[in-house]
Amino acid sequence: MFKQLDPLLHSELRLKIVSLLVGVESAEFNWLLEQTGAIHGNLSVQINMQREVGYIDVKKSFRRNYPLTTCRITEKGSKAFEEYVEALKEYLKLKYATGLKTCAMC
Amino acid sequence: METKMTEQESLKIITEMIENSRSGIRDNGFYCLLWGWLMLSASILNLILMKMNYDKAWLPWPVLMAAGMVVSVIVGYRKGKEARVMTWFDTSMIYLLRAFFMVLVIVLYMAGTGVIPWRAADSLIISLYGLATFFSGGLLRFRPLIYGGTLAWVLAIVVLYVPDLYSFPVVGASIVVAYLVPGYILKNRYNRDSHV
Repeated sequence: MFKQLDPLLHSELRLKIVSLLVGVESAEFNWLLEQTGAIHGNLSVQINMQREVGYIDVKKSFRRNYPLTTCRITEKGSKAFEEYVEALKEYLKLKYATGLKTCAMC
Repeated sequence: METKMTEQESLKIITEMIENSRSGIRDNGFYCLLWGWLMLSASILNLILMKMNYDKAWLPWPVLMAAGMVVSVIVGYRKGKEARVMTWFDTSMIYLLRAFFMVLVIVLYMAGTGVIPWRAADSLIISLYGLATFFSGGLLRFRPLIYGGTLAWVLAIVVLYVPDLYSFPVVGASIVVAYLVPGYILKNRYNRDSHV
């Protein structure tokens, strides 16, 4: 049976954030902003959403008197990402096997 | 606003983003060159002091290694404060350097107190930095460091069997192959990539 893609990851920006964080130990908000090409407000909303579900851990601190936001992926987030990639692979296999043309989430 | 994606687009995003985060794993060879020059200096000074019949000819080792550790800690702390992203490579290198220094202190203590002969200490120290070079080469997937580490292990065996007179050139050669050559290659690569 085909597994549904996690809607919390199946969005361009949310997937970009998690994919970036999977490859590093921690990253600053501004680095994520640069890498994703997103706008400040949108990135902030998506990070907050992933923090609320426990995919991302957000730490607020200060550097030279300026606020600093550091993000890291949690164990739950890594697991969700792995499952997302597995579901994606399965779906692509199924799609090519049956000639399906629709998206799993559409 | 959310953008609908196809599965192919999802895969493309994942690949691109992982690639982007990997590009942060770069090394400018600073630690290789710092430790390489410090150890080479300690080795040469040790030889000179021995020739002068100074009874504490080994003194440059603990002094320069402690200086290296202080510089490494300060530079590492500053880099850590400035870094916008912390990679697994950075964390691994921090722990490797700490472990390296602790083992170095233990070996120097054993040799300094006469528990083991200096020849064995030379071999252990060369093996130790062979390990650090080999390990960081593996993490960076950088062959000169892997070859440098392997060559250092060969020289760690060689140093056990050469006459006293030749032990210093062997130690020096191991520093050049394990630290200085890979360090300068890393530095050049880093400078070249920074201008792309």
